[in-house]
Amino acid sequence: MTDVVITGRGVVTSLGEGADPFFDALLDRRSGLVDGVGPCSDFDPEVAMTPKEARRADRFGQLAVAAAEQAWREAAPEGLDPERGGVVVGTGVGGLDTMERNTLAFLQEGERAVSPMFVPMMMPNAAAGLIAMRHGLQGPGWSIASACATGNHAIGEAKRMIERGEADLVVAGGTEAALTGVCLAAFKRMGATSRVGISRPFDAQRDGFVMGEGAAILVLESAEHAKARGAKVYGRVAGYGASNDAFHITMPHEDGRGAIKAMTLALRDAGAQPGDVGYVNAHGTSTPFNDKIETQAIKDVFGGNGGAPPVSSTKSAIGHLLGAAGAVEAVISLCAIDRGLLPPTLNLEEPDPECDLDYVPDGPREAPGLNAVLSNSFGFGGQNATLVLTGA
Amino acid sequence: MTEKTIPTEDQVLARVREELVAIKVPGAETAELGTQWAELDVDSLDLVELVKALEDEYGIQIHDDELKPIKGVGDAVALTIRLAEAQKA
Repeated sequence: MTDVVITGRGVVTSLGEGADPFFDALLDRRSGLVDGVGPCSDFDPEVAMTPKEARRADRFGQLAVAAAEQAWREAAPEGLDPERGGVVVGTGVGGLDTMERNTLAFLQEGERAVSPMFVPMMMPNAAAGLIAMRHGLQGPGWSIASACATGNHAIGEAKRMIERGEADLVVAGGTEAALTGVCLAAFKRMGATSRVGISRPFDAQRDGFVMGEGAAILVLESAEHAKARGAKVYGRVAGYGASNDAFHITMPHEDGRGAIKAMTLALRDAGAQPGDVGYVNAHGTSTPFNDKIETQAIKDVFGGNGGAPPVSSTKSAIGHLLGAAGAVEAVISLCAIDRGLLPPTLNLEEPDPECDLDYVPDGPREAPGLNAVLSNSFGFGGQNATLVLTGA
Repeated sequence: MTEKTIPTEDQVLARVREELVAIKVPGAETAELGTQWAELDVDSLDLVELVKALEDEYGIQIHDDELKPIKGVGDAVALTIRLAEAQKA
């Protein structure tokens, strides 16, 4: 089986840009959440794009291009055969801001008020297209939409693309810019977001997620390709597992069957045993259902409380980035392995008897020798994706 | 502009520049009558926005078939003036 390594990392979140500064902020226990949302307030799209390019892209595309630029510079894949370079970049909801603005203009002023850029800005595959154009990637390219599991699915499917021999290098990840009026209202109406605007995964008082925005992009390569060009390797996408709950359009199955399946398949794909995993980056949304069911599922996979490694939810610091979440958490997982440090779960003050694992509430915590991380993402629609990331 | 006055070449040129600047076309500020779209990297999607701006400004209608031979700033200015004149007549 082809070994798939990571040679570039890029991230934009409410806690800043760049993998290492972002991870430092997590270790400092900083929060990017303000007034119940996690916006990328300092993000300037014109750093990575020309003014015209930025104007012609929705914010989810801008964030993705900026993150991809970081990852591409880190990977520096000079000499890549363009036809052997692919892109798999997904989003949970696509260009919602563009959708809302143009819908309003259409209803108020009619057809002529609709921008000719509406479709190319709003379409979910826009980010993948922009990245392919910028870096001249002429191999396979597409977008994934599996709600909050998108980022992990994108990285996992990119791994498969390389394993199938369709590409030597794939730019993969997720992006989201859904802090729009309609989207915030919709999640609020569902009861999915926190009424008090606090992300406190696994805490007894948790009452929903806090929405953030951002993007994370990785450059994946076959180990052979990376080695041949002497690229620095940041880690490996060792395992990928995907499943469906096939149960309810928003609620996870109460037995966690989809989550268990995704984790089990990812471990099997990695050729790893549960005991090999030193840290779990949880989906950990801070919703009552997810955190309870994910806890149970982790215990099921790892053989109870005693078998489960430390678990934390970095959504406590940056909120839930929906389609970007898994990709951001992959970057975090790689940094955790590289530094031997586990990021904390913030705001976990009142234990919930049904969430009884070690969630690193007092972190960061040293984890010398950490070499394998399991990272979960579970999406609306019942779609689940788990990655196992290992060290270089 | 709803009244049917004929704009001058300079006026239309200024309006074309203004719209191209608004849609962030590099080099739009110094575009002249002889500047071609290819020089400005203006594509069909930019032209849709330019056409709407000119239609709104001068109360004209620019049909797709009239747009095809328009290769640059001078063509757009001339077409706008011709349509404004036709409208007045």
